[in-house]
Amino acid sequence: MAVPASPELPTMLFVFIFIITCSTSVAQKDEFTEELLIKPLSRGYVYSHFQFTTKWNASIHDLRTFSHYNLFPKSLGEVLVRYGVQELHLSQTQGLWRHKLWGYPVHDAPPGAELWVWFKPSVKDIDGAWTDLVNAVSGLFCSSLNFLDSKSTIVPRWSFRPLGLASKSTSPFSRSVRYGALPKEIVCTENLTPWKKLLPCDSKAGLSTLFNAFHFHEANYHSLGLHVRPICADEACTQEAIELSQSLSVVTDVVSTSYTGSPNWQIRSLFGNHLVSACPIAAKSTIMVDITNNVDQSSFRLTPSPTITDTIKRGPHEHTYAVYDVRQFTQSNRVLNIEATFNQPPVLVELSPPPIHTHRFITGYGLEDGGISCLIHNTLSSNQSILYLDLLPWFTRVKFNTLEVVNNGKAVPYKVHYVPAKDRSRPHHLELSLTLWANSVTRVHFTFTRAYLKWTEYPPDANHGFYISSAVITALVPSTLEYTGPPQASSRLDSMFANQPLGASKPRFLVRIHTESLLVSLPTPDFSMPYNVICLTCTVVAIAFGSIHNLTTRRLVPYDPASKKGLLSKVKAFLQKIFKKSPTTAGQGDQPAQVNEGIQELTEDKSALGTDEKHSSQES
Amino acid sequence: MAVLGAYFLGTFGIFLRIVLMKTNFPKWLQSRNEVVTPVTSWERVEEGFSLQKQFISPYSGDMFHETPLALRCLKLAYYFPFDGVKTFFIVIDILTMIFLYRIASAFGDQMLKEQAAEKSEYSPKAESLLVTAKQLSMLPSTLIAVHVFNPFSIMTTLAMTTSSVSNLMTLLTFYYLIKGNKLMCTLFLALSTYQTLYPLVLIVPVALHFYRNSISSTSAQSFVSGEAVSSYIITSSMFLILFGFLIGVSYVLEGSWDFLFSTYGFILTVPDLTPNTGIFWYFFTEMFDHFRTFFVCVFQMNAFIYTIPLAVKFTKRPLFLMYVLMFLTSIFKSYPSYGDAALYISLLPLWKHTFCYLRNTLMIVGMFMCCIVLSPILYHLWIFAGSANANFYFAITLTYSTAQILLFTDLLFAYIRWEYGLYNGKDIRNPDGSKTLIILE
Repeated sequence: MAVPASPELPTMLFVFIFIITCSTSVAQKDEFTEELLIKPLSRGYVYSHFQFTTKWNASIHDLRTFSHYNLFPKSLGEVLVRYGVQELHLSQTQGLWRHKLWGYPVHDAPPGAELWVWFKPSVKDIDGAWTDLVNAVSGLFCSSLNFLDSKSTIVPRWSFRPLGLASKSTSPFSRSVRYGALPKEIVCTENLTPWKKLLPCDSKAGLSTLFNAFHFHEANYHSLGLHVRPICADEACTQEAIELSQSLSVVTDVVSTSYTGSPNWQIRSLFGNHLVSACPIAAKSTIMVDITNNVDQSSFRLTPSPTITDTIKRGPHEHTYAVYDVRQFTQSNRVLNIEATFNQPPVLVELSPPPIHTHRFITGYGLEDGGISCLIHNTLSSNQSILYLDLLPWFTRVKFNTLEVVNNGKAVPYKVHYVPAKDRSRPHHLELSLTLWANSVTRVHFTFTRAYLKWTEYPPDANHGFYISSAVITALVPSTLEYTGPPQASSRLDSMFANQPLGASKPRFLVRIHTESLLVSLPTPDFSMPYNVICLTCTVVAIAFGSIHNLTTRRLVPYDPASKKGLLSKVKAFLQKIFKKSPTTAGQGDQPAQVNEGIQELTEDKSALGTDEKHSSQES
Repeated sequence: MAVLGAYFLGTFGIFLRIVLMKTNFPKWLQSRNEVVTPVTSWERVEEGFSLQKQFISPYSGDMFHETPLALRCLKLAYYFPFDGVKTFFIVIDILTMIFLYRIASAFGDQMLKEQAAEKSEYSPKAESLLVTAKQLSMLPSTLIAVHVFNPFSIMTTLAMTTSSVSNLMTLLTFYYLIKGNKLMCTLFLALSTYQTLYPLVLIVPVALHFYRNSISSTSAQSFVSGEAVSSYIITSSMFLILFGFLIGVSYVLEGSWDFLFSTYGFILTVPDLTPNTGIFWYFFTEMFDHFRTFFVCVFQMNAFIYTIPLAVKFTKRPLFLMYVLMFLTSIFKSYPSYGDAALYISLLPLWKHTFCYLRNTLMIVGMFMCCIVLSPILYHLWIFAGSANANFYFAITLTYSTAQILLFTDLLFAYIRWEYGLYNGKDIRNPDGSKTLIILE
């Protein structure tokens, strides 16, 4: 946009830009790119990351933007504008990403579902908007995100800052952000289908033709991501754009799934199909293979050979990628099937672990008290400050006074933001800001007691236990060892090759890792006998009520045997009545005579009591 | 001699507690649900302190349920010499013993006074039922002895539950009631109501007692006259002003009304279903959701409603009424513990003169013993071993409640029977010389 930047006419300039923006917003082409990053991991695993990026050159704050759609999915756009969403980050994951072995993925995601949203500052009732939004998103992706109610939602204070453009005025306040996680959510084909429908080419052409649910669900880890954020439309950042980034990550165990046990892999073996086309709408369609550890082809050989091999320096580390232009390889009905052939069986060596990795677990025994420990490893040779966020359900009652952060037996100073849980309405929210010493392990530990739930609050398989969502650790690290994420300006993987921003002599890279999710068992009542319990307890209350009623409403009197008719004497009187009638039949059989005798005895006893019955017996 | 005995017993009791404090026993007791409830747990008080230290309101969460004044006053426990908190609770126990002693002697005097005033109405054949000064002289040491060896009192002190503090408040109310100090009595009643809410019902015997004290002749008293009502109103308004003052101070300290929901709301709506010795927890665990509110109302009314018939029955015996209400609320309160039992068992010997009419002593003692022994075992089997389920523990808490109810009704009967004996003679015989049965009509 060639605008004469005249300092004398700032207003004019603004209006001019505005008019141009409005007039060109429809005409300006949206940009869609599709990329696939394949990174061989240690021990025969292969990480494949599909990245689909739609850049919509329009402002998310302008309501008129959402009246006309081009490549951006309308179903999603309507949800965004309806609930005043500024940024939306959703991940649905099956399996656990092992940071220590696999390094960092492009987008880190916890097991289950995770959603965090920044609402526009203009949204007043954020809790209401969040409730409606999770229901809408849950419908859009066929997932159970509607369970993200107040019991599993928090307002992160430090950990989840906006990733895209945000106005300066909102940045110090975290009022407009909501974070929720469902560790129990199971990700399946039904989530993949609506997710891939948002792609401009669906799965008809391009990299998305490789989506094969069978292969994904067989993998050790697979994760669906969807991220919407406002970004800069150009480098100078004179205009806003909306970026929709859809990603699908799969980690396949090549060695154990191949019949021969060989570590060789090809696109066909990973996804069950080879690539026949690029998405015609895509501005760019590339496959990148990370060959950082294989620059000299000593370990494996790639066929066909890539379009180019590119090396970039990010921070202190260099990364080398073999880049394939899909469009070029699939011209004139050719197919692309990248194949890696290993020269010799790879030696299983321990890769150097990434700068920060964690291990989180439950301590204690029995169903009464317990503890949660998180070991945070720092392999850097410098101190590293991190943010730790933990979201715990209300029924694990955290004892805040047991919180300790220990490194090498010494307490580490920390800054804490803690929101205690409210029964059945709010989870525990713990955020820590602390420094990890160089080359050390820091332990965050606290204990909790288990709450006792009502019998209706347990899920169908009550003894399976309850999941606790992953803790989130956020850091800006100086190292890019095992780092794959793109720079912040764009989610496109090829933006890694862009020039480093000026003045970033010591660049830092955002690392966000999720720990293991946990499973806790809670003590269970007996589900089979609510009626019995209600009856028994009410009986005990009735004993008290009856006795007190008796003792307070009656008075003591001496017992006069003459005036009192007990139950026994009533029965006797009744029997006598029958007996009085019976003599007519008595003589006819032996049995009535015996009865006769028995009653005679009874009446004799009665005579001793000197009651009315005495007279009646005499009469008889 | 009796005084020496009481001193000796008291010293022994303190020594016993100090020795036991040094063992691992208190740590174990602190995790026992029968001794520690969410309302009285010292662990939760400490949680409140640490939240307050971080400028987080302890009432924003669901761990702390003490009142705002308690939150501030209990901090004093840390400033006690030696082990701080442990010393604090031993000091509370010593104060409890001192006031038990004073209650016993004051109660004895009061008994003799009442007896002298009413003697003309008694049956001449009831001589053996009358209490004598000699019997009463042994009362203080008996009370101390019961308190010293009462396992419930020992456990309450060792577990460092705040129920020992609220028990002391209730004891002080009782003491100043006997002493006839209206201001102090209503003050401590307000404090103990402020702490645990249920002592609210004790305003009835307190009001009755102060009216009864104010009129000289015992025969002419009418408990429904205009004079009586105005006396009740004065006593109740004193209590209400003091109670309102405490609530007001709490509001000023906290700056919000949140504490009302975390303390009284927590007591009344029973959201926490942690097992305890009461009847609420399993009942509301197994309750159907749409009946929950109804049954919460019924069960809470159950804790309060007996005040009316008992007040009508024992209008002339406010001290016994006071004791009986204390006893009842500790059975039917939403989070009862052994601490509540400790209070009424320590005061039980006050009614020693009626014990000859108790009927189920052996069974009740047996039930209590069974419960003390079996409840930790069954809890362990449920929570740790996994070889028993919740029903086992529920059964034992139900037995415990039943035992308490039986003891309560037995004592009630014994008292009524004793009173009957006073007016009609101890030995009532039929014309043929056989013993007459006395029954309820």
